Amino acid sequence: MKLTFPYMGSTIIYQKLLQLLDHEVIMPPRPTQRTINLGVKYSPEFACFPYKVLLGSYIESLELGADTIITSGGHGPCRAGLYSEIHLKTLRNLGYHVDMIVFDDIYHYPKLFLERLRMIKNHKSFLQLIRAIYTSYQLAHAIDSLQKFMEIKQAYELEQGAFAKAFEIMRQKFAKAANTVKDVQCLQREGEMLFSSIPVHEPPESQKVRIGIVGEIYVVIESSINTGIAALLNKLGCEVTRSLYVSEWVDHALPRFIKKSDTAIIKNSKKYMEMGIGGHEIHNIGHMIHYKEQGFDGIVHLMPFACLPELITQSLIPKISIDLDMPILTLAIDEQSGAANTLTRLEAFVDLVRNHKLQKAG
Amino acid sequence: MKTYLGIDVGSVSTNIIALNEASEVLSSKYIRTNGQPMECIKNAMKEIARDLQNLEVAGVGTTGSGRQLAGIITGADIIKNEITAHATAAIHFYPDTRTIFEIGGQDSKIILIKNGMIVDFAMNTVCAAGTGSFLDHQAERLKVPIEQFGELALTSTKDTRIAGRCTVFAESDMIAKQQFGFSKGDIIKGLCEALVRNYINNLGRGKTLTPPYLFQGGVAANVGIIAAFKKELRHEIIIPRYYNVMGAIGAALLAKDYLEKNGYQTRFSGFEITDVNFVPKTFDCNGCPNACEVIEVTREDTVIARWGDKCGKWTNEISYSPPGYLTEAACS
Repeated sequence: MKLTFPYMGSTIIYQKLLQLLDHEVIMPPRPTQRTINLGVKYSPEFACFPYKVLLGSYIESLELGADTIITSGGHGPCRAGLYSEIHLKTLRNLGYHVDMIVFDDIYHYPKLFLERLRMIKNHKSFLQLIRAIYTSYQLAHAIDSLQKFMEIKQAYELEQGAFAKAFEIMRQKFAKAANTVKDVQCLQREGEMLFSSIPVHEPPESQKVRIGIVGEIYVVIESSINTGIAALLNKLGCEVTRSLYVSEWVDHALPRFIKKSDTAIIKNSKKYMEMGIGGHEIHNIGHMIHYKEQGFDGIVHLMPFACLPELITQSLIPKISIDLDMPILTLAIDEQSGAANTLTRLEAFVDLVRNHKLQKAG
Repeated sequence: MKTYLGIDVGSVSTNIIALNEASEVLSSKYIRTNGQPMECIKNAMKEIARDLQNLEVAGVGTTGSGRQLAGIITGADIIKNEITAHATAAIHFYPDTRTIFEIGGQDSKIILIKNGMIVDFAMNTVCAAGTGSFLDHQAERLKVPIEQFGELALTSTKDTRIAGRCTVFAESDMIAKQQFGFSKGDIIKGLCEALVRNYINNLGRGKTLTPPYLFQGGVAANVGIIAAFKKELRHEIIIPRYYNVMGAIGAALLAKDYLEKNGYQTRFSGFEITDVNFVPKTFDCNGCPNACEVIEVTREDTVIARWGDKCGKWTNEISYSPPGYLTEAACS
């Protein structure tokens, strides 16, 4: 069994988990234009953009010799929960001999979930399985914590690209040496030290601009398809915080007695939306309010073109923006979106946010 | 005489203006780009230099889709997106304005202003049905010079509804209307109204459009469109005197403001550049399957700028990075 998985965020987390269970892992290549072209070619035109990118990414992994794809399922109105079924059909129609191991919601199908776990556990004991999961869970948190650090300080780096270089070094170290929780902690400290040593020029507090990014999970997390928006905003001199990181997505899926609760953030959104509609819309709205409370200056809302849950969020944004007195920019992302256009909008938005901040300061 | 130059390189036209120290327009050039921005910039600069004697350039700002290229060859002090540039000029002339309609060749925008600051904006996303190119194309199809297009619309007294959601639909609807015997004037009026309806529905969605309305960009020359705007909004709209070069004026104002605030000297390369041979070229990088199209500008065989690569492999090789753009916060 040669395993592969969807490309989303720092893939070494999933790689590590599977390697700790002695699986042979085929790493999906970072999505490129070729990935997108492949996905677009074999997807229905009105499928969501993440669906297309994932399909392209699976094809590239299969070309490298993978035969089994591990992915997550879902439930509810958002189409993402059904991706796996259609992906599998499409891939088999294309002539690939491929299987899929889909992890559906643990609350709805606990038995199925355990069965799937048994499938990937290999010859390891359940204790070893739990240890492997715990290690990669810590790894996810460590990498994300470095990434969060980077997306803030990168705005002020003196040498362009210094943080990106350091992050790549750490990523490789994590991939190679993070095999136990202790390794992870050790490397995280090393990463923090490395990052802290990068020369930065921080402007006075009154001139700092903080932007929060919310939106559909895949386009928020995967920088290769969102025109590297966090880094772009950093280049424009803004600190960036995202509403979703891989580790938080895992937290969200964990059994209630383990995970840290994000109910406080979701509760904020009640005023605008009474119930979830399948995506991360109530989180997103909650985060927008949370960002306001934390003194952020602007919000960028990302969505795949025609994403249903986020379209609904978008329709609420004019009201939210007025209520919060906060500039919010929605960007729809898909294979048609041009980088030049996105950049123009982002630049204009950052100007707007800066002016808004100056004006409020008096 | 101290002068500030503003250069707006758009898809359809390249505009250059010169401001004096009191921010008054001394000279303005509106030239069709015809796909040759480099030549256009040089020619317009030559004309400006000829028009204005003993010119001392104290600052240069560029904007428009070709802002980066223009900024590199002129040594601009500031390179700004067209949304900020247009709004800056509009606010300069009409400090009370609340809504700016800007329709250019390839894109269109709505910018909302409050207390002399941009508070919201929208740019067309999905189609070209709300832009100048659409009108150009239809004028050609009807064999009416674009300059007379608007006046012809005013001759019509009938209401002709043309589907304006998309250029393809508009075109087939227009052909059908022609076959039904509608006059050119009727059809053109219908088209103008379709464009305005489409524009306001697309870009104005969810936004409150408050007067005074300002209409600028090349399309503001079209009286048919102006009439359609008045009808749709049931309100007067203001056409600024320099409606077709507002982006360039905004760029010059921003450059002036930026230099004065920071006490910097201009980086202007001088009018000699009109005789220097700049060659832009593109090549496909094959370092990874992204196959980015990298744009490279050479000056007398030396590469002076590159952009377009996703990973920064080519961009980072060159140390040139203009101030005010991606490196410094120009408005602070």
